[in-house]
Amino acid sequence: MITENLKKIINIILLSRGRKQITIVKEDSNLRNDFGFDSLDLAELTVRIEAEYDIDVFEDGLVETVGEIVRKIEKLK
Amino acid sequence: MKLFYSDILNNSKYSWDYLITDLKHLNFYNPYCYHSDFYTIFKNIILSLILREEIILLDSDFSQSELNTLIGSKDITQYNKPINNSELKGLENEEELLKMIKKVNSKWSVTLFTSGTTGLPKKVKHSFHSITRFVKISNKFKTNVWGFAYNPTHMAGIQVLFQALLNGNSIVRLFGLPKELIFQSIKNSQITHISATPTFYRLLLPAIGVYQEVIRITSGGEKFDDKTFFQLRKIFPNAKITNVYATTEAGTLFAAKDDIFTVKAEMQQYVKIHKNELLINKEMMGNTDINITKWYNTGDIVEIVSNNPLQIKFISRNNEMINVGGYKVNPGEIEEAIRCIEGVQDVRVFPLKNSISGNIISCEIVKNNPKLEESNIIFNLRSKFQDYKIPRIIKFVDKLLTTRTGKIKRDQI
Repeated sequence: MITENLKKIINIILLSRGRKQITIVKEDSNLRNDFGFDSLDLAELTVRIEAEYDIDVFEDGLVETVGEIVRKIEKLK
Repeated sequence: MKLFYSDILNNSKYSWDYLITDLKHLNFYNPYCYHSDFYTIFKNIILSLILREEIILLDSDFSQSELNTLIGSKDITQYNKPINNSELKGLENEEELLKMIKKVNSKWSVTLFTSGTTGLPKKVKHSFHSITRFVKISNKFKTNVWGFAYNPTHMAGIQVLFQALLNGNSIVRLFGLPKELIFQSIKNSQITHISATPTFYRLLLPAIGVYQEVIRITSGGEKFDDKTFFQLRKIFPNAKITNVYATTEAGTLFAAKDDIFTVKAEMQQYVKIHKNELLINKEMMGNTDINITKWYNTGDIVEIVSNNPLQIKFISRNNEMINVGGYKVNPGEIEEAIRCIEGVQDVRVFPLKNSISGNIISCEIVKNNPKLEESNIIFNLRSKFQDYKIPRIIKFVDKLLTTRTGKIKRDQI
């Protein structure tokens, strides 16, 4: 569920950057290498995740993969 | 009977005769003016002028805790002073009232508080001279009808009040009214003059009809964009449109027909540009809590267009710049570009904090074309700006948040 939601958020960012949307998101998908996210895309990602889950996933430093975000959100529950 | 003030929101109308009778029947004067009713505020200011007493204007929006910080935790009703009725005895008509007001001496002062968009409001005290520095009195202004579009406890509102009052004009409330009632008031009351912020004018767009009777539009407090300017031209075809630069601390300082302000020769010694910021000489300022040595930093970033005569163009407020990963973004610049996009009625650009880039740019848009989408905005901006300047989060809203002075709110929500 969280992964699906993250896919939606990632696709919003990709779409607004005029890039191709993704169909599959895996736990080890790398935000920079697999989605081509730059620092502004990551900043947007963290703002959108915070709006939805009320957590700043980048608070303790850089997060590389989708799995790391999922684990941070799951910890909240 | 000649109208003094009308307020469509309360369905009330007061003539000059009513005002005079009302003044004559007052038994007490309280220097602390903390009311939400505009007529009561105007009446108290006029009474303070007749009595030559200080008046302290408190915005009715101030909370009790703000009041405690600003004036101390006092019960202001305890400051009622009995009025010596002989001072009001001679008051029979509007002419005598105006004569009395104009005779006001150096004992009178008005204390007000800056809008405080960046922290706690600051106290500023003005004399009759400093508050009326730019008031023009002439027989040709006698029939002017003023659309009152500012908060009456703020500097801009007081200046409009004095311009209208000293010429014996009628005042019609426009501040805080919905768009339909604003246009209804302009038409029904045959308003000839309006002074307001660009945000106020933008909220009138798209317009309902054309208003020939308005002959003067003044805009101040924010940067005025070309799109609004041209649209206003269509709504008020007979109006001369003027931009005014004013601060709570110094009052009105310059005026311009477009966005280039020419500093008059007699004003040049009171103005300095330092590192692109406009500085104002202490002599031009009211008494304020702000610690000023000789020059007051206005926080307004300007561009010098010419040195002789000194001509300046306002670029932004220096505290409004948004830092996105070390790059400075001027929200006014982005707003101006978005406003030019077909289907956009108004926009507010503001920062959203995050732990990666410090801030990203976000915006709220009021659209007047239902087909307008986020992608249209981004596509348009991409051809004009670097990536970090383009809003990352775009929300379509029905209404924009504004500050107490009617300017666009730039804080994060």
